[in-house]
Formats: sequence, C-alpha cells, structure tokens
Amino acid sequence: MLELRKDLFADERDDDLKEIGKGTQRQDMLGHVTGTSTYFNDHLLQGLLHLKVLRSPHAHARIRRVDTGEAERAPGVRRIIRGADVPRNLNTLLSLINFGKDDEPTLAVDKVRYKGEPIVAVVADSPREASEALAKVRVDYEPLSAVFDVEEALKPGAPVVNETYPKNTFTYHDIYDHQKLRFGDVERAFAGADHVLEQRYQMSPIEHAPTETNGAIAAPDTNGRYVVYTSTQALFFSLDTCAKILDVPSNTFHFIGGTVGGGFGGKVDTLTEPLAILGAMLTGRPVRYIFGREEEMQFGPPRGAERIYLKDGVMRDGRIVARQVRAYFDSGAYTRLSSYAVVKCVAHLPGPYTVPNVHGDVYCVFTNRTPATAMRGFGVTAMDFAIECQMDKLAHLVGMDPMEFRILNAYRDGDMKAHRREAKNTALIECVQVAAEKAKWPLREDYKRMSSRRDGGGDRAAVPPTARDGSVSSRLATQQRTPYDRAPQPAAGPEPPRPAPPPVTPPPAPQPAAHGAMRFSSVFGSRRR
Amino acid sequence: MPVTVKTFGTSGEAAAALSSERDARYLGGGTLVMRALNEGDVSVSTIVRATDRALAQLDATGSRITIGAGVTFARVLAERSLGFLHPVAGSIGGPAVRNMGTIGGNLFAPAPFGDFAVALLALDASVAVQGAYGARDMPIEEFLSGRSRQADGLVLSASFQRPLSDDAFRYRKIARVRPKGAAVVTLAVHVPSSGGRAVGVRIALGAMASTPVRAKAAERTLEGHTLDAASIAAAVAAAADGTAPVDDALASAWYRREVVGVHLRRLLTGQA
Repeated sequence: MLELRKDLFADERDDDLKEIGKGTQRQDMLGHVTGTSTYFNDHLLQGLLHLKVLRSPHAHARIRRVDTGEAERAPGVRRIIRGADVPRNLNTLLSLINFGKDDEPTLAVDKVRYKGEPIVAVVADSPREASEALAKVRVDYEPLSAVFDVEEALKPGAPVVNETYPKNTFTYHDIYDHQKLRFGDVERAFAGADHVLEQRYQMSPIEHAPTETNGAIAAPDTNGRYVVYTSTQALFFSLDTCAKILDVPSNTFHFIGGTVGGGFGGKVDTLTEPLAILGAMLTGRPVRYIFGREEEMQFGPPRGAERIYLKDGVMRDGRIVARQVRAYFDSGAYTRLSSYAVVKCVAHLPGPYTVPNVHGDVYCVFTNRTPATAMRGFGVTAMDFAIECQMDKLAHLVGMDPMEFRILNAYRDGDMKAHRREAKNTALIECVQVAAEKAKWPLREDYKRMSSRRDGGGDRAAVPPTARDGSVSSRLATQQRTPYDRAPQPAAGPEPPRPAPPPVTPPPAPQPAAHGAMRFSSVFGSRRR
Repeated sequence: MPVTVKTFGTSGEAAAALSSERDARYLGGGTLVMRALNEGDVSVSTIVRATDRALAQLDATGSRITIGAGVTFARVLAERSLGFLHPVAGSIGGPAVRNMGTIGGNLFAPAPFGDFAVALLALDASVAVQGAYGARDMPIEEFLSGRSRQADGLVLSASFQRPLSDDAFRYRKIARVRPKGAAVVTLAVHVPSSGGRAVGVRIALGAMASTPVRAKAAERTLEGHTLDAASIAAAVAAAADGTAPVDDALASAWYRREVVGVHLRRLLTGQA
C-alpha cells in the first residue's frame, strides 16, 4: 500500500499535491479489462498484405549472393524487398538527436552481424504465402569468425563486428572509445584502505516478452500520405525514424498508436514500421509486419548484458574511501540505445554514496549478439545491482550492519559528487531509515537520528586533487569534458610529468552542446517539487 | 499453397490420409501443430483430423489401463482412478494447454517437452499405432526410438499395467519456471517390489535426449536389490549413463548431466 511520508522534509514542501498519493483510475483500464481496447493488429484493412523477413542463421557472415528469383515467382508474392530498395538503408536510432553514427541497415546487404538479422522481406497475399516464398530465397553465406564476449571483442585481432566502429566500441565525442569518470586518486586511497574488495558481476540479456509482439500496419492514405498503426512505445520517435529511413518529409505519415500491449523499452527500436510502410509504398496496398513469438524472443532486442568490475577501498569504521568501476556494456551488433545507457551509467557512478575517490571506465562494446535496447532504467539498473551487492559484501567485510553501512556512506546535502556537482535534495538516509522501520530491521539510535540535511558538506564538499591519466591513452590529450563542466579547472597539485603526446590528428572542434542525449537530468529523485 | 484441413470419421481413414500424403500432419489438441503453423513452418501443408470417438476413450477400471490418444491432460486430471498420473498431467503447460493437449500428441513432443511420454516409458506402456497396413501394438521404447519414422502412422492409444502400489510409481519434473515451465529434466521411476526387493525397475528420463530415454544402467543397479543407501548411490552414479542431453535456453547439457542423479536420489529416497 502506498504511504506518503509527508513528515519527512515537510518544511521544504507545500502540501498541495493533487495527484500523488491519491487513487486514480488509469484512463485505459476499462478498455483493457473489458477486452475492447484496440491494438494496431485490430486494424485488419481490406486487401491487407503480409510482410515477413528472411533472417540470418549466422551470427557473422559475408553475404556472397542472394537469389530471390524463385521466391518472386512463388504464388501470392506481391513484392520482394532488398536493401537496395530502402532509400536510406543505414540508420542509428539516436541520430535523431545527433548522437552516434548511422550503423545499422534496415535490410543487410553485404554482411550479417547477428543471428536473426533481416536480409530480405517478402510481401504476399497471406502469411503462409510469405513464409513459403521465404523458404525459396537462396542466400550464399561466407561465415566469418564471430565474437560474443565483450572483453574478447576489445582484444587486438578480434573480429570487427560493425565496420562503422572498427574498434568494436562506440565512439564518444568523436574520439573516445569509452566514457570516463575521474575524481581524486583511487590508487592512493586503495593503498591506505583497511580492506580492498574487487568483484566481477555479469548480467544476462533480458527479453521484455510483451504479450503483443512488435508490429505495424501501414496503408496508403489520400494525398500521398500513409497511415501507420503501430505498437510503438515512442510514436513520434518512430515516425521521424521512418521519415529518415524512407527519405520523405515526416508529414508523409499519420502514425496511430497509444495502446501498447506491453513495451517496457522493447518497442522503441522502430523495427517493423519502416518495412511495413515501404511495403505499402511499393505495392499500393495495406501491409502488415508483425513479429512471431519466436522472432520476438530470439531477435527482438533485449536488455543489454553488462560486465562490471568493482574495486572498493573501505576503512574499518565503514567509510568507503575509493571506488573503481570498469564496465563493458554489450550492445550487440548495432548501437541502438546502448551508447546512451553508458552515459547514464557513468552519470550514476559511484551510486548514491559519497566516495572521495572515484574512477570509472565504461565501454559500449559491439559483439555478434542481438542488438540490445532500452529496458526499465537500462544502464543504471545493472550497475545498481552490482553496487548494492558490493555494499552488502563491504558491510560484511567491516562487520557492519548493511543498512547502517549505507546510511553512513549515503550522500548528504552539500557533499561533492564525483561529477563535481554539489549533492542537493538528498534523501537516501531517510529512505533507508523508513525501509528499516517497515522491515522491522533494528538500527542503532545514532543511525536512526542521522539526516540527509546534517553533517554534509565541509570536508565532504572538497574536490580532491585528481591525477590525469595522460599516459594511458595517446589519443586522450585532455580530460574528458562534458557540457556540464564549468570553466576548465587548473589541475590541483603538481601535474605529473607526461610524455610528449605523439603526433595525432587533432580532434575535431568540439560540437555545440546540441547533444540531446547528454542532457539527462539527475538520475536521483528530487525531493523538492 | 494454403493449408488444407481434412477431417475423417474413423481413425483408419485418417491413418490412410497420413500415409498417403506427404506434408500431412495429424492434429490432436493442436498445441504443437498450430504453434508450428503460426510460426511459419511450411513443412506442413495438410492437417488431418479424426472425430473417431474411440480415440477419446479412457479405460481405467481394471489393472490394465488404456488411454486413447485423444484424451487430454485435463481429462486425466479429472479421472480419480488415475491419481498416480495426476502429478504428471498437472506438470504439463498451463490450463489452456492441458485442456487441449493430448496423450497421443505428447508422444511426439520434442525435448524438453513430452513429460507424459516419460511417465508412459517408466510404466512400460505399449502404444497402438494404426499404419497403412493395419493396427499394431509396439513397446513404447521401440516407438520412441523410431519416432521420427512414425509420422505416417496414427497413434490410437497407450496401455499399461496399473502400478501395484501408489508408492511404486514416482514422478518429478524439474523446471525453472513454475507453473508452466518446460523441463530441465523430467524423471519417472517405477519400482515394483517383491519381498522387499525391486523387480522390473524402470527409470525414464525426459530432456536427457531427443526423446524420453530409459536410464538402463541405473535400473540394473537397483534390480533385485532393496532400495538402500548403497543401491541408490549406485543408481545415482549411473543416472546419466547413455543419455545425450543438449544445451538449450533452460539448461546446459553439462548441468542436466550433473543434476539428474541428484534428483534421482531425491525421488528414490522420497525427499521433497
């Protein structure tokens, strides 16, 4: 049962909430429970054609030849669609916000990079005829060695998954192969810590498994427009993506959605709409493209798998003095949204705790696995799982109660976060106290009295001297900067001598801060209005 | 080519249609065939059905039990005299699958499905098959080992001796998801005892090969012995002998081989 703890921070808030804490009936509930909600697949238009795609049986292979001759002559077939028929057969989802390079074809042309990648689409009078025609398409593959492990993919000589990113890592700010966070000096802190604990955490891909599989129905409309019924979770995002791929103005489309039969992040990749619309453009008929259940499970994008290494230094009294994070996000064969997941993850380090020395390196890695996508807090959820497992282990290591250990290390107002921003509106201590109370978990009196508003700042507000790791990467001439950075800060303390940078091509001029993806808000909840 | 549905009044006609038409598949409850069609399996172009009521007959009154191929799992669950098979039928699918899925179809269910067939294998059932040249009974083991070649015959029923005691037949399905999970491994054992010694021991395993298989090495260690710690330990050690499990989304072959003995021990010692 929902309980609003209005007693906490009551003086900071006008008690005039109109919705939160009040029972509200979902506007779509009546339709759902009476079975009258219409989904995209309820628009079975007259003359509807059915589109199915041929998928790669190989995780990595060169396509030598595709023979669709027999399939074209198969009964009921209206149209075979190949990569060459797609006006702009290369896209990346976040190009709409100017983040990342176009790296993924709608239909593979020269190479397949994951098992299940679409190669040929067939539009036919019936699903059965489309399936029969697909069985007649002949593809001559040259299998290539594949890489399925994020760390193997980064080794020299690893197969190049995606030629757009030949190092198998997403490129940030046009030059960086990962996202960095540097705050203080973890090595020195480890040397002075009473305990150092290093652990490895490996996540698995998770399929969203929506009841309604991904799909769309596109139909020619008047004035050269197309009406598109879709399961998408991101209607205008999908619309603009289709306009780009099909190279038409976005007002060509009338997207109708809104009722999503389960999404959770698995219906933002715009996988079915472009081909359904293209099918309608090429045949002049309504076209439906819907994933089968096996397609949804096997080839629908999952939550990405992350490999996370955490190394923490902790003192006997329970203070965490250093946290070093090395993480590899498995993006699969294409970027989709994993590049953004990495940015979110680094913004979240070192978790909601005040740690004076933090060191983070997070990579978005390409492998020959199904491309990963959004799912419920992606980028943060897995890292939090690892961090909180680590917190329990650290508490055990120093013989502290795990709840009290969290309270001790939690952010407080006025503390300096690893991103050099002051912690404000912090509330973790109160959350843990309430959770302990609800769970009847005993806390000592002094921990029950601790507050997010007291004992923060001061020494905890200091920005520690931070070493530059200039010799680590020859390409990394300066510390990474984000649009958040204020004026360049002079390196505190004497700068360690660095070898003269080898001649490299100068990085392109920094782009204006138009990267929408960089404009995330704080990932921690605000307690103020 | 659209899919053709042919419905016959007798199992004989249906069997004839199955053997005369290539790409014909018999539809029992449809839980396997309709799934294949919905997923775009173009190897099936004719669906054969039979309305023969004999297929849905269930004779569980005497010591010899005969279950028609068209009997559903829900029907087994509703039959009080088949209480020893209720854990088996109840472990398959959810209510929708149990309402439609049939005993005959389960004999064809590929691993990791086919839990009822595991039980029938442990019960030494015989399977009545109607072929192009008449009906014949065959031991279930022979039926399963030649299953891929049985597609042109029609299973009519399965029959077996009722276990002498409730305790003699034991069943255990290991799934990661409950309810409705498919098997990591399924075990059914029939241990009739005579004078305290096990006689005619049958141990059947599901998801340990492409079809349900008997753990014959483990059976031999128990045969003629009392179920004591030593004989059980020997059976456990031999449990995975002769099996050929595969890696799938539920478990690796290695894991299946590792745990099958653990579950066999629990089943034989009556542990939860």
